[in-house]
Amino acid sequence: MPIVKLYANLRKIAGTKELLITGFTVREVLRGLVEQNPLLGKVILEGENLRPHIVITLNGHNVVDMDVNVNEQDVVAIFPPIAGG
Amino acid sequence: MAGWSEKVLDIDLSNKTYKTYPLDMEMARLFIGGRGLGARLLWDMVGPEVDALAPENVLIFTNGPLTATGYQTSNRFSVTTKSPLTGTILDANSGGFWGMQFKKAGYDVMIVRGKSEQPVWIEIKNDVIAFHDATELWGMRVFALTEKLGQNNNKRNVLCIGPAGENLSRIAAIMNDRERAMARGGPGAVMGSKNLKAIVVEGKERTEIHDPEQFKFLLYETRKLLAASPLTSQALPEFGTVVLMNIMNNIGALATRNHQQTQFEGAEAISGEELTEKYLVKNASCWACPIGCTRVSKTEKGEGEGPEFESTWAFGAQCGIDDLPAIIEANTLCNDLGLDTISTGSTIACAMELSEKKYMDSDLRFGRADQLAPTIEAMAYRKDVGADLADGSLRLGAKYGHPELSMSAKGMEMPAYDPRGMQGQGLLYATSNRGGCHMRGNMVGPEVLGLPKLIDRFQVQGKSSFVSLHQNSNAAIDSLVICKFTNMGVADEYFARVLSAVTGIHYDTGEMIRVGERVWNLERMYNLREGFTSKDDTLPPRLLNDAPTDGPSKGWVVKLEPMLKEYYRGRGWDVNGVPTPKKLADLNLDTL
Repeated sequence: MPIVKLYANLRKIAGTKELLITGFTVREVLRGLVEQNPLLGKVILEGENLRPHIVITLNGHNVVDMDVNVNEQDVVAIFPPIAGG
Repeated sequence: MAGWSEKVLDIDLSNKTYKTYPLDMEMARLFIGGRGLGARLLWDMVGPEVDALAPENVLIFTNGPLTATGYQTSNRFSVTTKSPLTGTILDANSGGFWGMQFKKAGYDVMIVRGKSEQPVWIEIKNDVIAFHDATELWGMRVFALTEKLGQNNNKRNVLCIGPAGENLSRIAAIMNDRERAMARGGPGAVMGSKNLKAIVVEGKERTEIHDPEQFKFLLYETRKLLAASPLTSQALPEFGTVVLMNIMNNIGALATRNHQQTQFEGAEAISGEELTEKYLVKNASCWACPIGCTRVSKTEKGEGEGPEFESTWAFGAQCGIDDLPAIIEANTLCNDLGLDTISTGSTIACAMELSEKKYMDSDLRFGRADQLAPTIEAMAYRKDVGADLADGSLRLGAKYGHPELSMSAKGMEMPAYDPRGMQGQGLLYATSNRGGCHMRGNMVGPEVLGLPKLIDRFQVQGKSSFVSLHQNSNAAIDSLVICKFTNMGVADEYFARVLSAVTGIHYDTGEMIRVGERVWNLERMYNLREGFTSKDDTLPPRLLNDAPTDGPSKGWVVKLEPMLKEYYRGRGWDVNGVPTPKKLADLNLDTL
């Protein structure tokens, strides 16, 4: 199953840094994540779309297409709004 | 005219005299304040014949028309000088309280020239300027000195150097309000070369505002926007800047072990999440800042401000160290000694690589957290191995026959973002007028965080226009001078409107960005006059030739040449990177 890694305040909300979630696309993985933890959904999603400034990477590459395929052991990382310099 | 105090304080330390005179208001209109005004003044005062550590070099402290008005983050100020690290034009800016107090003392600009025979400190209380003997203060560290000279955040503020500046370390910072730093490029060494230990200010004047009603409205609007943005109301206050550690590591753009790798296996242990959970005591803010990104951290050895992302990276991933308490302590030690944390950490990393490869005879090794504090101490006092490291990594590498192991651009150590995974950042470092610096148009927004919109970080073609735009916008913000983090919640347009409301001069967004472009081109002209050429717009060979062998940036080097060609063309410069006469005329720089 793909590995979902959470960062910053998402960890507090989910109560964990990392989960295994079934899904064949990033969209499906997110759907599974939100079903498992509805509170995360409120922070990450606005309807079907990502909230502003949420960053998702797949194996370290920014996800621009939510329907991109996800394979076993792929890492989907989700970052809430973050900033710095 | 509202906004500006219209007054310059000009101090000559050689004979301990000063004079005041009116600020050239046409110059102020064109360059605003802060970095821009400093650059314009330095152009007239310090030519290529002047060594950065000679009495003829000057320190130009500037604030801006927004400073001390109460507009959000209007606390910042700049110092402009010729850099002893790079030989380029240098400006460094800082927050805290001192800049606000300096404006309240009634000056837009303070020029410090010459050299005192004996250590001296200056006390400014509006029109009363006093020179005090600093013989007994010489040698004092920053925290103790700041307290001794009576730091009181809203009433009396201390700016000083530590032992590193006294010992002319070319990576020495000027510190203000105890733990705020004008760090990069070695301004602390210039202050040390003048035997100037500290400048203390107290002020009582209010900045006149042209349109108080409009200003009040914009203050209210800005407050709302900053509160509504999750970046400025949640991300920065909750986790500080160190929260970037995990994402930069995740995408394979976290420079590691002197840029030998682009991912650090210990990133999680030195992350913002870890800092917040285990070591954060409280948040702190600069004057008039509702964001409050400053961390106050505590370890068994004490409490101090920070560390910021860059400092944590420099002593962490760059040195292969995952011991967060040791990193926090290294950061606090640098603040107390008056050293630039980025250059200090990256110079230690360079020494670690030189030593591991047996080019240099020392026991410094990657991963050795226990070596941080003693090495930093040695650098500030130029003792033992520190004598080799005190002037930065390029001079260190050159001494041992391997300058290519200095991870610097124009001699200034680059920050955390490995540009092999962020092509635009590579172009930014190569073209930055003060050397390898992210604060001149950081591309982490568009290339990683999607701010304001995500662009492909590996894209080369078309990237230069984003870099130029960010550079111009940042130069304008640095000239106002306010904190760049404000820009994460508030568009440039607001800054133009508030500048107009405060000064009574109409600036629209385009005009404000044009000020930024003017400043950028003037800085470029300064460096060209110093003898820099397009050959200096480059990066260490490692970043141009050695691709990471694993991670998300695997196979990538910085494709600098095509970006640079496009960049010169886009800026209206010739193929050698020289601004054309037409460009200079367009920017009102043709009479220089």
